[in-house]
Amino acid sequence: IVDPDGRIYIRNWQGGILSGGFEKNPKPLFTEGRNQLEIQNLQEDWDHFEPLLSALLRRMPDLEALQIMQLVNCPESFTPDMRCIMGESPTVRGYFVLAGMNSAGISYGGGAGKYLAEWMVNGYPSENVWPLDLKRFGTLQSSRTFLRHRVMEVMPLMCDLKVPRWDFQTGRQLRTSPLYDRLDAQGARWMEKHGFERVKYFVPPGKDLLDLDQSKTFYKPDWFDIVGSEVKCCKEAVCVIDMSSFTKFEISSTGDQALESLQYLFSNDLDVPVGHVVHTGMLNEKGGYENDCSIARLSKRSFFMISPTDQQVHCWAWLKNRLPDDSNLTMEDVTWKYTALNLIGPRAVDVLSELSYAPITPEHFPSLFCKEMSVGYANGIRVMSITHTGEPGFMLYIPIEYALHVYNEVMNMGQKYGIRNAGYYALRSLRIEKFFAFWGQDLDAFTTPMECGREFQVKLEKGMQFVGQEALLEQKQNGVYKRFTMFILEDHDTDMDLWPWWGEPIFRNGRYVGKTTSSAYSYTLERHVCLGFVQHFDEKTGEELVVTTDFINQGEYEIDIAGQRFQAKAKLYPFSSLFTHRRRKDEVELSGYQRE
Amino acid sequence: FQLSPSQINDILRAGELSHKILDLNGKNANSVLKFESNQLASNTPIEDRRSAATCLQTKGMMFGVFDGHAGSACAQAVSERLLHYIAVSLMPRQTLEEIELAVECMKPVLPILQWHKHPNDVEYREITSQYFENLRVYWQHLLDLDTEPGFSLEEAMICAFKRLDSDISLEVQAPQENELMRNIALQVAFSGATACVAHIDGVHLHVANTGDCRAILGVHEEDGTWSTLPLTRDHNAFDEFEIRRLKREHPRSEEKTLLVNDRLLGILMPSRAFGDVQLKWSKELQHSVLENSCDVEALNIYQYVPPNYHTPPYLTAEPEVTYHKLRSKDKFLVIASDGLWEMLSNEKVVKLVAGHLMELNVQKPQLAFEKPVNLGYMHSLLLQRKNRGIASLDQNIATHLIRHAIGSNEYGEVDQEKLAAMLTLPEDLARMYRDDITVTVVYFNSETIENYYRNNE
Repeated sequence: IVDPDGRIYIRNWQGGILSGGFEKNPKPLFTEGRNQLEIQNLQEDWDHFEPLLSALLRRMPDLEALQIMQLVNCPESFTPDMRCIMGESPTVRGYFVLAGMNSAGISYGGGAGKYLAEWMVNGYPSENVWPLDLKRFGTLQSSRTFLRHRVMEVMPLMCDLKVPRWDFQTGRQLRTSPLYDRLDAQGARWMEKHGFERVKYFVPPGKDLLDLDQSKTFYKPDWFDIVGSEVKCCKEAVCVIDMSSFTKFEISSTGDQALESLQYLFSNDLDVPVGHVVHTGMLNEKGGYENDCSIARLSKRSFFMISPTDQQVHCWAWLKNRLPDDSNLTMEDVTWKYTALNLIGPRAVDVLSELSYAPITPEHFPSLFCKEMSVGYANGIRVMSITHTGEPGFMLYIPIEYALHVYNEVMNMGQKYGIRNAGYYALRSLRIEKFFAFWGQDLDAFTTPMECGREFQVKLEKGMQFVGQEALLEQKQNGVYKRFTMFILEDHDTDMDLWPWWGEPIFRNGRYVGKTTSSAYSYTLERHVCLGFVQHFDEKTGEELVVTTDFINQGEYEIDIAGQRFQAKAKLYPFSSLFTHRRRKDEVELSGYQRE
Repeated sequence: FQLSPSQINDILRAGELSHKILDLNGKNANSVLKFESNQLASNTPIEDRRSAATCLQTKGMMFGVFDGHAGSACAQAVSERLLHYIAVSLMPRQTLEEIELAVECMKPVLPILQWHKHPNDVEYREITSQYFENLRVYWQHLLDLDTEPGFSLEEAMICAFKRLDSDISLEVQAPQENELMRNIALQVAFSGATACVAHIDGVHLHVANTGDCRAILGVHEEDGTWSTLPLTRDHNAFDEFEIRRLKREHPRSEEKTLLVNDRLLGILMPSRAFGDVQLKWSKELQHSVLENSCDVEALNIYQYVPPNYHTPPYLTAEPEVTYHKLRSKDKFLVIASDGLWEMLSNEKVVKLVAGHLMELNVQKPQLAFEKPVNLGYMHSLLLQRKNRGIASLDQNIATHLIRHAIGSNEYGEVDQEKLAAMLTLPEDLARMYRDDITVTVVYFNSETIENYYRNNE
């Protein structure tokens, strides 16, 4: 029996009962570097146990008469995000870890052991275990103070209601952009990924949001209108989003080694003219995404690679293990060297051209290009015509010492174009309504480009060998067993109904066919958009069948949100007519999908 | 209707503020261990204010208690501004130049203070920029002095107090377009506040006092007894020095009218204060300033000309500064508004803080029971221990002092009924039984102080 209100559990135990719990005021241990042998010598602490005992007797008053056999005081291990740690060490090959079970070791032990065994034998477990992967953490999450503070926050959460978009409150402000203080002063509200503070949205002056506790909700959140106005500004004018947290690597060589190695490790063709940006997957043998990134060719022999924030450890280890041991081929993690500003919106081009005195028209600067330019006084700013949302605009990769200068220049110049700050929630809404998949949320090591409509990002026809090629060729021939699909909720009331977040079951003609992976409210469509994978199970045997375009298109869909089903329209391609502010006809970021 | 003990606790603890100095690298170099503060309103809204901040450009921490009268506007302004004026007075020329340059170029300015605030400590947001402008004029003035300011701490504190008071007085005379800002300036100048500020840097403790707030040290003598060391004199009609000072500053003809009914000109209790321009300006100036402002009544400004008002100013904000070199036997500093001192003597306050310190040091007694025990018995045993803990112990020492100040019976023990009665007095009566109380207690780190003497001998 678990009583979350009382924070206790109760079970049979050798003819008596065993009861314990997760107190609100845990005592962290072993962060002072004390000898772990002290586990055996912990004194019983009845005063500490009192709230749990009170809860037990409130739930089962008759237990009062029971005699106490023993109060056991022994430590449990907890992790910074309440999920266990599993997998191969990023630095020592062949060294596998399974630890930090957050006091659920007994219940998870069987499954965790199975996956780890598969991992050791086959090289990867049979399910996506990225959320548990050791490599989601780096050394930055292992300081004693960080662990001490975070576990004290994590442990009481075991019995608390976990709401979507919840941010940990401890261990914050560890990695920040140089603009942190500036943005904070302008009302930024923050979330954290891989230790990096990222803006969720900006609270306008004079407007207050709910208290932390009251903002917990599964319904329409209090930031709804704030994010709406940021999205509107991205669509109609121009916004700046600080995206410095992205993982950035530079790979270069004296000869052709960089190109040759990357051509083998990445699925898209990287032998493009200098100054081009390529979206590409970094696939495993089975064709699944180990990483999804953008790579700019800076010169014949050097490449600039941008990946999701939490790829810093994983991607580094993956490449290190696979790049040839050649002293003429170097890879450097330059994440900390650049501040990244995303300039989104139809007027981004005006702001940038005024600041650089260079022509930025689509003829001079088509989509998916990368140029080094000067912005304001600062030289050597890497400007890329991508926004990760499908909206027009630019990413500016700025050496950090220029960050404040460039930001000030952009904000001053942007004033007449109605510039404002925006955060990641606006970005999410934009990318989801444009059907952009994100690694870690929609894509994982078990998703291939074929399954999410990205065949155009794979160099199958070029006769080049690359990791995952065979698996993809087979899929191309035989078809895919799941398909990334976009759903637009039809009869969902944004104000009154529970919101979809992720993991909601998808029903096709009344039968379960898969789960959503992410969702957002589209302020343009004025509807909720869910992204997710549709599978095809044989009606009798339950066997997985090939998913065809017709299968997707010819179904009636419903999304189940907490037991209530909402009608949904399925789409395999993003809307294009709805987005009126497109300035460039050859929107490569988008058109790729239509080329299929 | 009677308040329950937990309701009483909620009321008493609402104003709690505490801050522990982080022990960096295991070497706590700061002589301040922590501070704990609290306040309890009698006036609605409360007219007391407090400040605590760490100097970021120079060394040291500052703690201030401000007791407002005729409204809270002046105390509010002084609590927001005074520590900045002191910090600026202490800065070396080079730092001032850097800051001036940053402001000039509209660059982010070096932070001057790190505040330690209670969530209820609000600011006059609208007017911060003007405050900042005037602070800037002050440091520009310091820069214009052409030499390294080189103030001693004492001079710096005196200079800061006087400058702020003169700014308060000038701001209300300057033409002001914005009506809100003008009204605030009026309210600030026509209300008043006393101030007591301590500056602690290593073993050097300076206390600047204007008015009748009080600061005392708790000293743990070698024989184990506790003694009290007052660091300020109350500036009021009971103080010999103040009486003599006033008589010296005004003609003999006014000797009889200077202090009437133990009040300055029969009006004001403290004999030094910020604001209160009614006792500083000439009649003509008061008249012309108030004439030009729109609605004096709506602003709750007391308009009066005191009797026998011949040779203003009668009131000054100039502080008296005390220096004390901390010894390892100096354990804590208590700064409080007169609301506390009216209720508790210096000795009683030191005794209460010392007792609280001792109690914290004594470990909870071992839980004693003989096995076998059943759960119900153990539960009742634990609850007893818990309740005992709560009843005797306020975590925050300032709360402990306030509880005793308003709840003590004739035996000096806290009486729950009296406490409840004092807290439920109707608004208009409360002021007759108790004043606003603000207490800040600063604990010193004896080890750091000892180390200082060890290393400097």
